Amino acid sequence: MSFSKEEHEKLKGILRQAYQEKENLEMGDLWPDALMHRIGGFGAIQSAPRFLTMFEQIVWQLAPVISLLILALTGVLLVLDLAPEYDVFQLLMNGKEEFTLSQMLGV
Amino acid sequence: MDNDPYGPNDAEIVRQILAGNVNAFEQLLKKYQNHVLMIIKKHLSHNQAGDTAQDVFIRAYRSLPTFKADSSFEQWLSTIAVRSCYDFWRKHYRSREFPMSSFTEKHQVWLEEALSDESSQSYHERGLQKEAREILDWALDRLSAEDRMVLELVYLEGHSVKEAARLLGWSTANVKVRSFRSRKKLYNLLSKQGKHRRRGT
Repeated sequence: MSFSKEEHEKLKGILRQAYQEKENLEMGDLWPDALMHRIGGFGAIQSAPRFLTMFEQIVWQLAPVISLLILALTGVLLVLDLAPEYDVFQLLMNGKEEFTLSQMLGV
Repeated sequence: MDNDPYGPNDAEIVRQILAGNVNAFEQLLKKYQNHVLMIIKKHLSHNQAGDTAQDVFIRAYRSLPTFKADSSFEQWLSTIAVRSCYDFWRKHYRSREFPMSSFTEKHQVWLEEALSDESSQSYHERGLQKEAREILDWALDRLSAEDRMVLELVYLEGHSVKEAARLLGWSTANVKVRSFRSRKKLYNLLSKQGKHRRRGT
């Protein structure tokens, strides 16, 4: 059985009405007292955020700046020519110039 | 809801609570308990409403530091209430603590009669609201927690998709798709029962 458009509308009305009527069901009025008793047991709540929460917030706030900084530094490193410094380093480490005694004395 | 224009406003009460005056929470409880109950009683069954109402206010109490003073406390609390109901159904479907209701011969007869022209007029007069609620609960029990919440908010309560999305914390596209699918599932469930009955008779 599939519903006709008219039946759809009728069913919708009936179900909506049944649903809305659920809010009229009576409930006991003892729960607010029990709740306040439980709330009292928790004590005062901290209004200041905890260290971890604060740390997390700061990290997220700084995340875009840090990302930009990393990108900028990567760009700078790529643009900079590191070869000359490397050559100098190699020269110092491997290509030791051995001076003779006469050269040292300037003869 | 009591809105005393001379009493402290909600933001002021929240400030007092955060300053250490725990008892000030009772003012918020008294002001909004009916509002929260109205939300919960529609989403949950009668015997689950009391415990969940307490959970809503406890969640609200613990989350007070996150409440923004320039926003509406009622809206903020409504969001907590709706999400608590959703959490309840998610847990419930996972554990299946309560037995599922069944669709009896009485319900089948009721459904056929309700859809026929002559019975629709006397729905209230004949005191058949109970059967309607039972059939609705039977069908909702067979939907997922997500489908159930969307169906209740959009189809049965008449919230806009945007409002339902805000209450549940979902995207509007998600709510729109679920709303369409859940409605289809509901009609399929009910039409199948009608089919069974027609075959049986």
